[in-house]
Amino acid sequence: MRITRRRFLQGVGATGALAAVGCGSKAGSSGVDGGPVNPPISVPARPILVVIDIDGGNDWLNMMPPVSGANRTAYESKRPSLAIPTAQATPLSNGAGLNADFSGMEELSAEGRVAWIPGIGMNNPNLSHFVNIALWGQGAAQPNGTGWLGRFADGSFDTRGDVLRGLTVTSDQPLMLRGATRSFVSITSSSGFVYPSLLRAGRVGSPYSPQLLEDEFTAAVTSTTSDPASPPDYGAAAISGKPFLDAQNGFGTDGNLPARTPSVLYPGDADFPIKRTGGGNLSSTLSNQFKLIAQMLASGLPTEVFFTRLGGFDTHSNQLADHPNLMRALGGSIGAFYEDLASIQTGDGNAQDRVMILAWSEFGRRVAENKGGTDHGTAGLAFCVGKAVKGGFYGDYPDLTSLDKNGNMKFTVDFRSLYATVLDRWLGQAPSATDSMLGSSYPRLGFL
Amino acid sequence: MADLTPVSTWTSADAQHFGRRAGFGLSPEAAAQLAAQTPGSAIDAWVDGTGLDQTLFADVLATRADAVAEPARNASTTPGAVSLPVEPGPHPFRVEPADAWRNNFTRSQAYLAFRMQYAPYAFAERLALFWHNLFATGWHKVNNAALMLQQQALFRAHGLDGFDDLLALVSKDPAMAIWLDSVQNNGAGTNVPNENYAREVMELYSLGADNGYSQTDITQLARALSGWSFTVSASEVSTDPTDPSRKVAGSGTFRVYDGSANPDPYLWNLQQRTTLPSMHGSGSITFLDHAFDVRTPPASMVPGEDALRSIVTSRAPQSASFLAKRLLIHFVTARFTSQDLSDVASMIQSSQFDLRAVMKTLLKSRFFFDPANRFALVEGPVSWSVRAARALGYDLASADALSPKGFPAWALVAGSFDQAGMKLLDPNGPNGWGEDDTWLNSGTIRYRTRIAAAVALLEQSATGSPSVTYKLFPSDVARWFPTPPATAQAVLDRLVALLQPAPFPAALGAAWLQALWPSSFNWSASDAQNKVRDLAYLILCSPAGHLY
Repeated sequence: MRITRRRFLQGVGATGALAAVGCGSKAGSSGVDGGPVNPPISVPARPILVVIDIDGGNDWLNMMPPVSGANRTAYESKRPSLAIPTAQATPLSNGAGLNADFSGMEELSAEGRVAWIPGIGMNNPNLSHFVNIALWGQGAAQPNGTGWLGRFADGSFDTRGDVLRGLTVTSDQPLMLRGATRSFVSITSSSGFVYPSLLRAGRVGSPYSPQLLEDEFTAAVTSTTSDPASPPDYGAAAISGKPFLDAQNGFGTDGNLPARTPSVLYPGDADFPIKRTGGGNLSSTLSNQFKLIAQMLASGLPTEVFFTRLGGFDTHSNQLADHPNLMRALGGSIGAFYEDLASIQTGDGNAQDRVMILAWSEFGRRVAENKGGTDHGTAGLAFCVGKAVKGGFYGDYPDLTSLDKNGNMKFTVDFRSLYATVLDRWLGQAPSATDSMLGSSYPRLGFL
Repeated sequence: MADLTPVSTWTSADAQHFGRRAGFGLSPEAAAQLAAQTPGSAIDAWVDGTGLDQTLFADVLATRADAVAEPARNASTTPGAVSLPVEPGPHPFRVEPADAWRNNFTRSQAYLAFRMQYAPYAFAERLALFWHNLFATGWHKVNNAALMLQQQALFRAHGLDGFDDLLALVSKDPAMAIWLDSVQNNGAGTNVPNENYAREVMELYSLGADNGYSQTDITQLARALSGWSFTVSASEVSTDPTDPSRKVAGSGTFRVYDGSANPDPYLWNLQQRTTLPSMHGSGSITFLDHAFDVRTPPASMVPGEDALRSIVTSRAPQSASFLAKRLLIHFVTARFTSQDLSDVASMIQSSQFDLRAVMKTLLKSRFFFDPANRFALVEGPVSWSVRAARALGYDLASADALSPKGFPAWALVAGSFDQAGMKLLDPNGPNGWGEDDTWLNSGTIRYRTRIAAAVALLEQSATGSPSVTYKLFPSDVARWFPTPPATAQAVLDRLVALLQPAPFPAALGAAWLQALWPSSFNWSASDAQNKVRDLAYLILCSPAGHLY
C-alpha cells in the first residue's frame, strides 16, 4: 500500500496535526492491512547502494519518539514544547513510535523492508558537524583522509575504466567517496555532460573547432610533468579533469540521457498528496536527486554506488515548523523512489530488487530542547531500505534516563558495524578485506 | 621554517605573483610598474589602499555597472501596488539597501564580481573574499541579499582591524545573527540558550574544532551572547512597490535584547515593538577559565562582549595557529611544515593580532615570495573567473567608453559559480568552502571549462523579455597584443604573460600550436583571432591554468 491523500488525511486532525493512521502493524507479525510481512529476497547478483546523507544532525528522537515507560517520561519532561504526542506516532515493535510525518516510511517498515538502527554512534562522540561528517566519511579505526566508499572504490573499481561505477549526484566530492587512487564522479544533471557542453551544442559555432579543443584539452589533462620545478597541484588538476572526459563517453548520447517520466509522484510534484504543514509543496531537493538516479539506471549506466544528500536538519531553532516538513520530504522521497524503481528493468534485473538505500546523519540531537529547537547531540538513527533487507531493529534504543554529562544519549551500535555489514554482505567484499578497509573487525548486523 | 623578514628587491615576476595572490591579477605592464617601486612601500600602499583614484569606479558602480536588464515585475493585488517595467542595461546593480525588497541574490553575486574585477582598492576585495570563506554565512537562510552585502561591506571596512575587533563586529552583524541563530538565542530566566553561534564561533571562526574549549564553554558563551540581535529603523525598511504589504530590512543595527526601550521601531524580523524582548541572560559564567558577569561588561563593550573577545586573549596560541593556517592556505601554500605554521602563528601573536600588520608582514616576506610557493595553490573559481576576465577583458575606462558597454554580463555568469565550486554569498554551511585542491573535482573542472569558454570565446546569451543578446565577456583580441604577433609562438608567449598559468610542459604548448597553426602563421588571416581565442581557452582550463 502506498500513501494516498485519502489515507494521509485520515490522520490529519482539525488542527492539521497528524495522528497515526494506524496502517502500520508491528513488524514481524502481520503487515499492512493485515497481510503478511514480505520476506526479504536474496542479495542480488549485481547490487546497487544508494547512500543518503541526512545533513545537519537529524533529530531522530522526534522521528522515532518513545511512546511509553521511563523513556517517554524523560522525553516529555525534557521537551515541553517539542515532544511528539503519542497519538502522532505509530507503534513499532521496539516500543517506540514512528512519527506520522515520516510519511512513506511507515508502510515500508510494516512490510519489513526497513532495518532501523537507533543508537548508532561512536566512542568519544564529537559535537561538531564537520568533525563528525569527516569521521562518518572516513569510517576507519584510524582515519587517514580517505573515505570508506573511496577505499571500496580503490579496491574494486578498475583503475583504467569504471569511471561511472561510483557517482555522486551532489556537486561536491564528499570525503566519504574519496579514495587514494579513485574517487566518485559528480554528475548533477541528465543533460549536457559533455566537454564543454556549449561547444558540442554548437552555440559557439564555426570557425571554432569543438573537436580540436576537446583533443587539446585531453592532451593537457593527460600531460604529466616530471619537471621538479612544476607545482605539486598540477597533478591534482590533471587528475580531476580526466574522469570528466572519460565519463562523458559512457553517459548517454552526446552527454544526454534519454528522457524519463517517473512512474510515481514525488514530493515537490504539484500533485503529490502530501504537502508542507503550512501548505505548499514539499522540498524537491531529494526527489530530484532520486529522479536523476532512476533516469541513470533506466538508461543503463553501470553505476554501483550513488551518493545523495538532503540538508536542513540542523534544527537549533524553528524546529516545530521545520522538522515535520523535512521528515515529510525525506520519507516521501524514499517511499516514492523505492516504488519508482519497480518500473525500471536494468540489464541485471529489476532495479527495485537491486537497490538498497542507506541513510545516515552525522549525529542525533540533545535530548533537552533549547527554546525552539535542539542543539547538537550524539547517538543517531541510521536505516537501510530494500527488498533484500530483513526488516527490524538492529540497535538498542538509548536509555533516556541515563545520559552522558552533556545530557546526550549513549550510543549502542558502532557506526562501523553498519559499514562492515554493507561492505561484506551487500558490496560483496571478503570479510578480511572489509576489516582491512575499516581498520578493525566490527560486528556485523543481521539485516542482510 | 618560514622566513618572515621582508624582501628588499623584487622582479616583475614577483609582482605578478603578488598581484595574483593579493589581488585579482596584474597585467605584465601593470606588474612592471609595481615592480619599479621598492616592495616595502608598494606593498604598504597596496594593503592600505593609498593613492587610489576611485572616482570612475564609484561613478560607474552608482549608475551603469550592470549590463543585464532587470526584468519586469507585475503588481500584486495589494492596494497601492504598481508594476515595474523592464529596466534595460546598463543600470546600477539594484542591490542597495533601498532595493532590499528585491532580495536580488544573483545580482548581489554579480555586484561582488564586478567589484573584484574593477575596484581600484583590489586588496580590500581580495581580503573580503578571504573573510567570506572564513566567516561563511549563507543567503539561503538569511534570505536577505541586502544584509549579506552589509556583511561584505563590513569585511571591506574592517578586514584589517584587530582580529578580536573583527570577531566582535562579525558576531554583531545582522546577517550572521540570523545565520547562526543569535536572534533566537534566549538565555533569560530559565530559557535554555541556543548554542549554535557559541559553538561555531569557536569551532569555525577563531580556534578550530575542540582546540582549547569544551562543551561547557560553549553553553557558557551561549548564555553570554544570548539576546545578541538587531533592530531596524523606519528609514531602513524597504517596501516592495509591487506588493506594499511586503517589507524587508535593508540594513540593521546591533542591539542586545535586554527588555529595555527599543531605539528603533522594528525588531530584526520587522515586528513592531517599543520595548526589546528580554532575551539576554544574567549571572556570571566561567568561560575559558575566566569569570564574566554577562550583564556588566567593561565600558566600551556590550554585555557578553568581554567573554567573546576573551577567545582571542585566553586562547591566543590556538587562535593564532587557527588564523595562520587559514592565511597560509589562501595566500601562501598548502604545503607548509609545522615549523612554518608555528612561525606565522608567532608573528600573529607578536603583532597582537593586528591584521594590517600581519598582512603586511606576510605579504612582504621572503616566505611569501619563495619560488617554492609560486603557483603552489589551486585558485578558487570566483577569483579565477575574475582574473581571467581582467586579463582578457577591457579595463574600466575602456569598457565604459564602449557602446554597449564592455563590462561582463556578470549577472548571467554568476549562477555558474555554484557548479564551478563556490556559490558566492551562499555556502552550504558555516564551514565555508575548502581551499587548494578541494576546489577541484570532475564536476567543478567541467564548469570551469564552461566559464573559460565564455571568457575566451566571446560567448553570447540571449535572454529576457524582450530578448536581448549579451556578450558574456566582451573582449577584443587585438588589444591582447601591444604589437601584432609575428609567430604562433609569440601568440602563446603573450597569452601566457596575460593569463599567467603555472609552468606547463613545452611539448604541450608545441602540440597546441601545431594543432591550431599546422602550416603557416598569418595574423591577417580571417580565422587568426578565433584561433588565438582557442589558445586562450586551452591555457585557461588546462591543469596549469587553475593554479596561482
